[in-house]
Amino acid sequence: MSLLEVDGLAVSYGPIKAVRDVSLVVEAGEIVTVLGANGAGKSTSLQAIIGLLPAQQGRVRFDGHDVTGESPERIVRRGMTLTPEGRRIFAPLTVEENLRIGAATQVRRGNTAELWDQMMELFPILASRRRQLAGTLSGGEQQQLAIARSLMSRPRLLLLDEPSLGLAPIVVELIFDLIGRLRDLGITILLVEQNVHQALDIADRGYVVSGGTVVLEGTAEALKASADVQKAYLGQA
Amino acid sequence: MKLVPIYAIAGALTLATMLPQQAAADDLVVGAAISLTGGLAYADVPAQKGMQLAIDEINAAGGIGGKYKIDLRLKDSRSDPAQTSIAAQELIDDGASVLVTPCDADPSIGAGQMAQSAGVAAFSTCASSPNLPLAVGDHMFTNFPGDNVQATVSAKYAIDSGYKNAYILISPDTSYTQLPNYFKTVFETLGGKVVGEDNFSIGQQDFSAQVTKIKSLEPAADVIMTAAYEPDFPAFIKQLRAAGITAPVIGSDGIDSPTTFALGDVAEGVVFSTAGFAAPGSPLEAFNAKYKAANGENPDTIFSAIGYDLIKVLEAAVLKADSVDREAIWQAVRELENVQGATSTITYKGTNGVPLRQVSLIKVVKGDRELVLQEAPDAALIPAPSL
Amino acid sequence: MEIFVQQCVNALSLGGTYALLALGLAVVFSVLGMINFAHGEILTITGYTVFFSLMLAVPAVLIIPLALIVAMLAAAAMERVAFRPLRGAGPTSLLITSFAVSGILQVLFQNLISARPRPVPIPDFLTGAFTVGPFHIGVIQSLSILATLAMVGLLTLFLKRTLLGMAIRAAAVDFPTTRLMGIRANRVILAAFAISGLLAGVSGLLWIAQRGSVDPLMGFLPVLKAFIAAILGGIGNLTGAVIGGFFLGAIEIGLQAALPEPVQPFRDAIALTLVVVVLLYRPQGLFGAVHSVRP
Repeated sequence: MSLLEVDGLAVSYGPIKAVRDVSLVVEAGEIVTVLGANGAGKSTSLQAIIGLLPAQQGRVRFDGHDVTGESPERIVRRGMTLTPEGRRIFAPLTVEENLRIGAATQVRRGNTAELWDQMMELFPILASRRRQLAGTLSGGEQQQLAIARSLMSRPRLLLLDEPSLGLAPIVVELIFDLIGRLRDLGITILLVEQNVHQALDIADRGYVVSGGTVVLEGTAEALKASADVQKAYLGQA
Repeated sequence: MKLVPIYAIAGALTLATMLPQQAAADDLVVGAAISLTGGLAYADVPAQKGMQLAIDEINAAGGIGGKYKIDLRLKDSRSDPAQTSIAAQELIDDGASVLVTPCDADPSIGAGQMAQSAGVAAFSTCASSPNLPLAVGDHMFTNFPGDNVQATVSAKYAIDSGYKNAYILISPDTSYTQLPNYFKTVFETLGGKVVGEDNFSIGQQDFSAQVTKIKSLEPAADVIMTAAYEPDFPAFIKQLRAAGITAPVIGSDGIDSPTTFALGDVAEGVVFSTAGFAAPGSPLEAFNAKYKAANGENPDTIFSAIGYDLIKVLEAAVLKADSVDREAIWQAVRELENVQGATSTITYKGTNGVPLRQVSLIKVVKGDRELVLQEAPDAALIPAPSL
Repeated sequence: MEIFVQQCVNALSLGGTYALLALGLAVVFSVLGMINFAHGEILTITGYTVFFSLMLAVPAVLIIPLALIVAMLAAAAMERVAFRPLRGAGPTSLLITSFAVSGILQVLFQNLISARPRPVPIPDFLTGAFTVGPFHIGVIQSLSILATLAMVGLLTLFLKRTLLGMAIRAAAVDFPTTRLMGIRANRVILAAFAISGLLAGVSGLLWIAQRGSVDPLMGFLPVLKAFIAAILGGIGNLTGAVIGGFFLGAIEIGLQAALPEPVQPFRDAIALTLVVVVLLYRPQGLFGAVHSVRP
């Protein structure tokens, strides 16, 4: 049984079909990447998987449960979460408050202190910004905060939507480095990225989405070698 | 909360308006386009209860003069002038011999004009504006001591009590709340002086600015007059007394309400004009007893007795005309003299539609009412209605 | 000078009442993007709770907590019954629904309780005043200033210190992302309504202490003032709502005190014109609302 199974997913915004037919599988412990051009339906798929958008067709199974049609808050409590595109941190709240809200599902379990220490270790910059308003952080710091906030719910599967978007190259390095460390911590990752090179470097497998449909799938090596991918995304003839 | 009664009411109303109504030829059809909901319901609902009491009484005795039963047809005008006109037109088309309109002048004007052109006599349940018949025509009648008449009685009382410097508080929002202007005219005619006046908005509830001004009046006001009512009057008098101003306050019939008597110390000594007083042995006391027997509680406003009066006026008119013909009734109303109502004797003869009625001045004493005086003022003193 | 200081106290007291009302509207707006015009009916419900409690001889110490609890429950029930089924509908549908709720409640009050105002006797000590130097300060006036401060303080603590409070602030910025934290949307919305109910309950008690009666239609005008104050402050911004309330109170008292008598009838028109002028220069209100993403 795979950790995440998406089967024949279709999502519409009104009359516009953004996702027509997306099927994918993520096994526990993997990093799986979803590649594709702007508007290919990558982000929309992630939002439908996490329950923010209703799936018009298809099923989503997480950890053996059919979670299609469940609310995002319920799915998050099951152990899957999404770090949305554009970071979407709570700007008028402090860094600490952002993280405390991230741990909302853990409060009853009483292990927020431990989580907190873990985050400070993973993201030392956040420790020094603790009382600062999140809106005053730099782009890279905000992205780290967004990921840390997601991790506060102790996800087994983390959906990462364009984590390197708009960041300076040196920060992009840092973020990918971090993704690697998350895998070491036992967190499975489904990564949507424009930064195809680095995504394929870190991922085990990948899917290529175009026009709302999965057009290609395979191991990272195979995709790197694929002529289509090279032509479309890697800028090689 | 049980929802059943509201459905029942709604259902009954719908049925009442939908079923074809066949009145016997000799029935007096009274069409009432009054406000059972909305901002005027506070006045029209009690008036309607008083009307119903009189109708039940008369019909139980075999009808007016043992002959003409009263058939009341109600349409909720929802406190909306346009709805009132529509309801009035429907009732007139439906054969009403007499029309009853809401307690306020504005919706009554539109409805009254419908009645005027159809030759139907129209009565406002309890509007006190003396302008109403002027605005509509000779088929419009009011059923309450006019604002100018009430103000004349209170101004004369103020002078007789030795007050010389008055402060008046007016709201331009309605013609009723401008009653103190009549008070000012009479008070100054009789030698008093208005040393200050202010405006307020109905419902504003905050009178701190006015009260601060009253405190700084030079010379100080020795009497304060206003036609403010709920919620403004209670808020005003509390803030006035809290500021340490002890000058006596005179109000008008709008504060003839249980709230005024529940205000405690701050309302002690307030004097107001209204349509009647239930002295022992008076018709009003008898009415209150009948009302309690029928409704299980005392009326909480004079408007119920006023509604009763309205039907008594119609009874007298039909008796005089010995007919339920529109024209005959209208002619008869114009000749009515000294009809005994629950609150007063009522005369329409020789008036322009605002009846001659007595005004009662009532003082709040320990949460109860005490009669100061009851009179119909000297006609020469009454200011002309101002438009 | 004395009059000026006295009028300032007056403005603070009136502004405080407006601030509480506007805050109640703003809390719900910040989360749902909806102006709840049935907010005024919560004031009315608070009033009827006091009225019936007095009638049933409920001990005096219990009446205030009881009234506040009923106000919160009423607001929560409103959310549950009228607004939750419309989750996801546009702001216009929600706005119209809130008008419908308001209208239905008014008719229910008129038909099931009374079309007439019901007296609510207020203890005499509440209608008194005390003297500080040359100033007379009404007990209710001081109470409304104190209650405003207390409620603003409590609300601030709640929003800053509790998880639910933080979630409400987060939801005001970005509702979907708040749900990604595993926070239940319905719980946040219900909490926002309950808080607005509590604020309406407190303003209702102050309002009733001033008017001494409860009336089926009494909620309309306060909610209108609150709406103006909330717009003025920057709708959906809680600090803005409080400032907007005080600003409106100051405008009203200032005009009442300063305008010559012949111009007085135009007071409300002038006050609204001033509000419009402020909005011309700051269309987003004094404290422009945070850009937010709604559920």
